[in-house]
This record gives sequence, C-alpha cells and structure tokens, in this order.
Amino acid sequence: MVQHSENGEALGPLAADLASAALALARRFAAGATLWCWAPAAPAHAQHVAVEFVHPVIMGKRALPSVAVTAGGDEGVGILRSLVRSGDAILVVGGASDAHVEAVMRRGPSWGAITLWVGSGDRPAPGAADHVLWREDDEALAGHDGRLVLVYHLLWELTHVCFEHPGLLTPGDEGAGPACTTCADEADVAEVVERRDDSATVRAAGRLLRIDTSLIDDVHAGDLVLVHAGAAISIVDEAR
Amino acid sequence: MTDFLYPFIDADERDAPTLLADLARSAEAKARESRDLRSTTLASAAGVIDGAATAMADRFASGGRVFAFGNGGSATDAAALAALFVRPPAGRPLPALSLAADEAVVTALGNDVGFDLVFSRQIIAHVHSGDIVVGLSTSGSSDNVLAAFAEARRRGALTIGLAGFDGGRMAVSPDIDHCIVVRAESVHRIQETQAAVVVALWQAIQRGPRLEAVVSG
Repeated sequence: MVQHSENGEALGPLAADLASAALALARRFAAGATLWCWAPAAPAHAQHVAVEFVHPVIMGKRALPSVAVTAGGDEGVGILRSLVRSGDAILVVGGASDAHVEAVMRRGPSWGAITLWVGSGDRPAPGAADHVLWREDDEALAGHDGRLVLVYHLLWELTHVCFEHPGLLTPGDEGAGPACTTCADEADVAEVVERRDDSATVRAAGRLLRIDTSLIDDVHAGDLVLVHAGAAISIVDEAR
Repeated sequence: MTDFLYPFIDADERDAPTLLADLARSAEAKARESRDLRSTTLASAAGVIDGAATAMADRFASGGRVFAFGNGGSATDAAALAALFVRPPAGRPLPALSLAADEAVVTALGNDVGFDLVFSRQIIAHVHSGDIVVGLSTSGSSDNVLAAFAEARRRGALTIGLAGFDGGRMAVSPDIDHCIVVRAESVHRIQETQAAVVVALWQAIQRGPRLEAVVSG
C-alpha cells in the first residue's frame, strides 16, 4: 500500500463537497430529519455511519437520529421506500455501477429526502445525487483501508461544527426542501405508488398526489414519472 | 465545543460561504492528518504486522478461522475485517466471522450474563486452539474485548489486538500475542488507520507462502 506524497492535497475538491454536504445535512437534522444509511455491498459502512451520529465519540455532542438499513438489493430499496419520510436524508456508500443505489438516489427527491452518495473509483454521472462525496484516486481497496471511513467521519465532524452556527441552520439557498413544493406542477420526478385506470397516486417531493396518466402507457407502482400540470408526461428511463 | 477539533473556526462567524470555506479547510487538514498517521503507523508497526500476518497465515493453513470483535465503530470494523477476509476483492477467501453480527446472540448474552462477557462467551462456544481472534478497541481498554482475549488465550487461540491511544490495557496484556497500536488521540483517526492495518495484514497473509501451500493443495 504505497502512500501518496506527504505534500499533495489529501482531498482536493472533495473537501468543498464535504463542507456543503455537512451544512445541508445539519440543516435537515435541525428541522427534524432522520439520516438513513445504506451500503448494500458492505453493510458495515452503513452501520458505522449510523453509530457515529447516534452515539457520538466526543462527549457533549448531540445524539442525532440515524439508522442503518442492512438488507441489500430490492429488499433494501423497499425498506427505504417505507421508512424514509419527507424532510429526511439518505446516505449511501456504494459504487457508481450499483443499479440499486442509483435507483435510491433517483427516488430521494420524490420521497422528499436529500441524497448523499459516498464512494470511490469511477464517479457517478453529474447530478446523480444531491451530494456526491467521491474518492476518485482510489480503487477496490479504498472501501476497506479507511479512506471511505475518513469521508463519513469528516462528514460527521463537519456536521457538528455546523451546529455551532445555529443562525445558518435555517433552510438555505441550496434549495428547495419538500415544504417548498406545494403542488404537482412543481414536482419534476414522482414515484408511482398505485396505478388506477387513467390515474395514479404518486409520491412527489414527499407528498402523495393524484395525477392523470392517460398520456403514458404501461406505468407500474415503483416507476418514476415526470409530472407536469397534474399529468404524467413520461416514464423516467432507468435502463442502464 | 469543537474548538479543539477545529481551532481556526471563528465561533462568531455567521455567513455560510465563510463557514463552508472553513469547513473545507478543516476537512483537508484532517485528511492529511489521517494520511500521515496511516503512513507513520504502517512504517513503525511493519514488524508487528508482519509477525502477526505470518502467525495468522500459519493458522489459516491448518484450518483455523478468524473471530473478530469490537464495540460500536470497532464492531463495524470487525465486520468489515470479516467481510474482507471472506469475500476479498482479489485472492483467496479466508474464513472469518464477526462476533457482533448476530443481534440475538449479543442481546441474549448482554441481558443474561452481562455486556462484559458478550464476546468471551461466544469464544467459549466457537474457538479452538487452531483459531485466531482479532479484537479492536480504540481505547485499548474495553472490558469485553480484554475478557475475550483472556478466554481465547485459555483456549490456545492466536490473539491479535488493534488498539489506539497508548494501547491502554491491551498494550500490556499477557493474553495478546501481537498488539498493533495506532498512536493517536482521535478515535476517528485511529479507526481510519486501524482499517489500513487490517488491509496490510490481509495483504501480507494473501502474499504468504503458507497460504499458497495449503489452500491450493
């Protein structure tokens, strides 16, 4: 395990990404969020993140609600779908090529959750999550040798620093929380909860809405659709 | 409260861009600290790591298994160790289990005999003289980890310890054959480097001739 030079940057652009993720997460916690942690290929990472927040290593730091989901695959996606509430945050540790992780990151906005994606190696597509916290310098071992652990340790440390700045914890300009979306017109992506004839109940920005589906064919529960003016205008293509 | 963690953050600062810049600077500084601790530890502990890896490879070669344990983040590190050995990204799978993995066992023992014995009682059930135990504790002094080492020693298992700070009670325990101490004061930095030590152990075992001889034979 040859180390990089002692003088080079250790994080590069990841440092600024961690900073904005920490502030967004602290804002969510301040408003009552639970942080859901999922690492389908390495559940120990999810449990490690959750225990950091629930039982801080530094005395006096507040305990924050964070839960690890240890089931993988479709089962893990289904558990998150049931448990995540509007206003929550989802942190996933996993590779860019994991289709289940991608599915959860894509659904975060419709569930009303912000999404954080921690990983290494090839980076996910731009916009794949609200916060992509990525170690690009690394290969398969980064998930084992402490370099990913460092990323979520830093996220925890920085999130608690944000709590020292209560004036900055009100929702900021990083965008629209679920409370900002007041009608279907504003929802870009929605997840179909139940289909009925030419209409469907969907979850958009954490709210349940009834929309018209007469413009699209063959839509099923669990599909993501684009909604405009109260109607589904297309199904989001999730094929890779 | 976080002054000692982030001394250069001004407690009175109130605008987000300044805070974000300070956070990013802090993150970079912590990451460098982590990187430096990892290199210095891997260099200074190279001999212990090598000795531990050779002894572990011998046990694996004779059919031994690893039982790993720790509390909290160290429990997840024990689980990660087991996962790395059992389902390696490359090389040969090696048998390893985490003793914190089963909530039925951990809660039954915690409730019935006390949390200090949650690992040692499992060692009584599972561990034989050809086996290996790996205990992780950032303080080096977790009671249930030390009790587990004592039980493993009684049963003749190879005992490997990963500790932090000054090594705590683990550094002077007669029950631990190879104790690798990550000398730092931050639990987080210690855990990051302990993970690197686990990978170094795993790599040395995978490279070792003993493994080659038996697993392929």
